[in-house]
Amino acid sequence: MADLDRLEEDLGFLRRAVDGAAPHAPASIYFLWAVLVLAGFVLVDLNENRVGQYWMIAGPAGGLISAYLGWRDQRHSGAMDLALGMRYLQHWGAMMAVIFLATLMPGRGLIAWDAFGPLVLLILAMSYFHAGLYLDAPLRWVGLLLVGGYLMVLSVDAYAWTIVGVLVAGALMVVGFRESRRRDLATA
Amino acid sequence: MTSRQPDLASAHADLQSRLDGLDDLLEHRSRLAACVLLSKADQLSFSRLKQVLDETDGNLGAQLRKLEQAGYLSASKEFLDRRPVTWYRLTAKGRKALLAHLDALARVIGHAGR
Repeated sequence: MADLDRLEEDLGFLRRAVDGAAPHAPASIYFLWAVLVLAGFVLVDLNENRVGQYWMIAGPAGGLISAYLGWRDQRHSGAMDLALGMRYLQHWGAMMAVIFLATLMPGRGLIAWDAFGPLVLLILAMSYFHAGLYLDAPLRWVGLLLVGGYLMVLSVDAYAWTIVGVLVAGALMVVGFRESRRRDLATA
Repeated sequence: MTSRQPDLASAHADLQSRLDGLDDLLEHRSRLAACVLLSKADQLSFSRLKQVLDETDGNLGAQLRKLEQAGYLSASKEFLDRRPVTWYRLTAKGRKALLAHLDALARVIGHAGR
């Protein structure tokens, strides 16, 4: 039975090691998207006509920069995982593709452009929430915040997008700072 | 000899045979943990393994060398920001051995649950 006791202890050690190695996106990615989201959401209230152009550039550029930051972080943290990187790419890439395809609806007159913004917020909310379930847990809260943002833009007239942008950017910054702190503690 | 003793002897022999199915090399917790972690990633650096397994340089180095000598791991070195980094990867042989070991562990645990 001593063998079994030792096995049990070893399995406990194994579980702790695996849990401790769970991957997290680097803080820099959260900070990047905090800035991009804030700028993009404020633009809705300041100059609505430029929003599409902004996201056509900021979306893919932000994605490419995030991919680079993630790759660089994997190398520096000593954990290379191409499959994980592909999961991130597919998740966020699919979200961008869905938003792009959704533009066909107001483009063809199926819905008003006024409805497109809230629709995008719902797509973002679901994407962030699912990212929280399968990629980075704290993003669930950003997803829920975006649901609140959706309700806000439907009910508040003045500067609703700016308020939502500030809140979402703030949440992403908090997640980024917590990740940064977690790593500092882990390597201390 | 009571009627209960042959049952106990048989159960003990059964358990022993299941324990014998375990891989000697992977019975060491750090070697097993290193292989499990490497099965979930493409490659991990020595520093990363040391951080996660909370081992000293010397001890971890010795364990990884044994795995490398057995052909379970392959190692490559490079310079990153002018610092030497050793990357480890689980080989096909190592993956096969790990899966067999985990199967054997599951049988031992399943037997203990009865």
